[in-house]
Amino acid sequence: MNMILRELKASRRSLIFWMAGILAMVAGGMSKYGSIQDSGQSMNDMMAAMPKSLQALFGIGSVDLSTVLGYYVVVFAYVLLMAAIHAGLLGANVIAKEERDKTAEFLMSKPVSRMQVLKSKLAAALFMIVIFNSTVLVVSVLMVQHYGGGNEDAGRLAILMMLLYLVQVLFLSAGAAIAAVSKKPKQAVSLSAGVILITYLLSIVIELSENLEVLRFATPFKYFEAKEVLFDIGGDWMFIALSVVLSGVLLIVAFTVYQKRDLNV
Amino acid sequence: MNVIEIKNLTKTYGSSRGIEDVSFSVEEGEIFGFIGPNGAGKSTTLRTMLSIIYPTSGSVTIFGKDSVKDAPEIKKEIGYLPSEVFYYDNMRVKDLLKYSASFYKKDCRKRIAEMAEIMDLDLNKKIDDLSYGNRKKVGIVQGLLHEPKLIILDEPTGGLDPLMQQKFFELLKEENRKGATILFSSHILSEVQKMCDRVAIIKEGRIIAVEKISTLKENNHKKIRIETKIPVDAAIFEFTGVTNVEQDENTISFLYSGDINVIMQKLAGIELANLWVEEPDLEEIFMHYYEKEE
Repeated sequence: MNMILRELKASRRSLIFWMAGILAMVAGGMSKYGSIQDSGQSMNDMMAAMPKSLQALFGIGSVDLSTVLGYYVVVFAYVLLMAAIHAGLLGANVIAKEERDKTAEFLMSKPVSRMQVLKSKLAAALFMIVIFNSTVLVVSVLMVQHYGGGNEDAGRLAILMMLLYLVQVLFLSAGAAIAAVSKKPKQAVSLSAGVILITYLLSIVIELSENLEVLRFATPFKYFEAKEVLFDIGGDWMFIALSVVLSGVLLIVAFTVYQKRDLNV
Repeated sequence: MNVIEIKNLTKTYGSSRGIEDVSFSVEEGEIFGFIGPNGAGKSTTLRTMLSIIYPTSGSVTIFGKDSVKDAPEIKKEIGYLPSEVFYYDNMRVKDLLKYSASFYKKDCRKRIAEMAEIMDLDLNKKIDDLSYGNRKKVGIVQGLLHEPKLIILDEPTGGLDPLMQQKFFELLKEENRKGATILFSSHILSEVQKMCDRVAIIKEGRIIAVEKISTLKENNHKKIRIETKIPVDAAIFEFTGVTNVEQDENTISFLYSGDINVIMQKLAGIELANLWVEEPDLEEIFMHYYEKEE
């Protein structure tokens, strides 16, 4: 418990910044909806006139921007990217920082096993992404209700957040596995950032080209589509299972390697 | 009973030297010195003992338990002061010490206050703002606050002024009186000489001697220095038992171990202006060990 608390305290400030970022992104993004609400259809026409590549870049694939949830789908694309960056960097950071800041020698001279250290750090990180996720949920529900006149389905948003959480956990596990395996703590965080960037770019490429659907497996950004979750079918069970299994495998890798390798001090 | 038993411990890593076939043991209640120049493998040995890094081969047994398998159990009774002290920057000294204490099922508050008093350490300062010496003090308190049965110190005196060193040594001696075993690594002989009962000497990753300090001092080495009236060729001292011959014009000095009559007869044949026969200090014996190895 002491290690979990320490971790939470250490990341407190950064988490507050991220929460402010979510607020700015969701509230700021949705407030734009307020200003285009009246000219909704013309907005749709303008977007439709844009080349497909630009549409993909903005995260606008065939959604109706004149509805509040349609508009929210666009905002959510950025929230998803933020969540992935937050979780991926957090996962790498909680583990790599003891070695990077040279506190590993202090920590490992205490009566704790590597297993306990890793468990505590991941527990703290999982808790922090819950906070991140809840913030997104609360701000999103408030904004969508505000601009939608209170008629929108908050339950759908809650399901969306659960799927978001799975993706967060996956990126967190990937970051943790990278940091646990990497012998150079300073590289772990940048490697993790690289993985996020590559999978994100891949998701855009998939969006652009119809015949690359099969690559959806390779990028968690494509494990679910906000527009599908919000408008009809919900999540895809196969991808939900895939993200759970992948997270599990990555965590097993993290635990196995971290217990066996020499710490870099 | 042996508190520490190191058997044929080898640790090799990529680029750095590591250690090879290190074996020694430390008895309960002993203050054991671990001495060698920087980079000889002292920290590698200590870190392997603490499972911060793992042995390539060989084993370490502490309190009769395996240092890898039973690491968390063993560490309950170990206090460790690393050679370079790094702590969570944003913490205050007292928070760091509280955090450190939270790993042990003991109330350490009184002890923290006591030691901070002795070491003259301001508990309310941020660790960021501390000087090297003050960080070292945090390290000392952090390592001793749970009254460990085994204290492992890696170059503990760096950055401490002589007065503080004195207080620190007294603190250690007090712990030792209460029953703690101490493993004291250093490259400074005089402090090891002051503190320790026995020493292991490590050089380029290998243990070259494990000796009692008293044996080291009494192994019959004499430091002899002569001043001659006319220049003499130092080559006349090239015979068994003579080492470290140095000549500076009319002065020749060397270390001698062997039958004292032999050297006296030799000296009697020379026209002397002056003669000094001294006990060599540990430093010189130490260098002697090193040269013998080469």
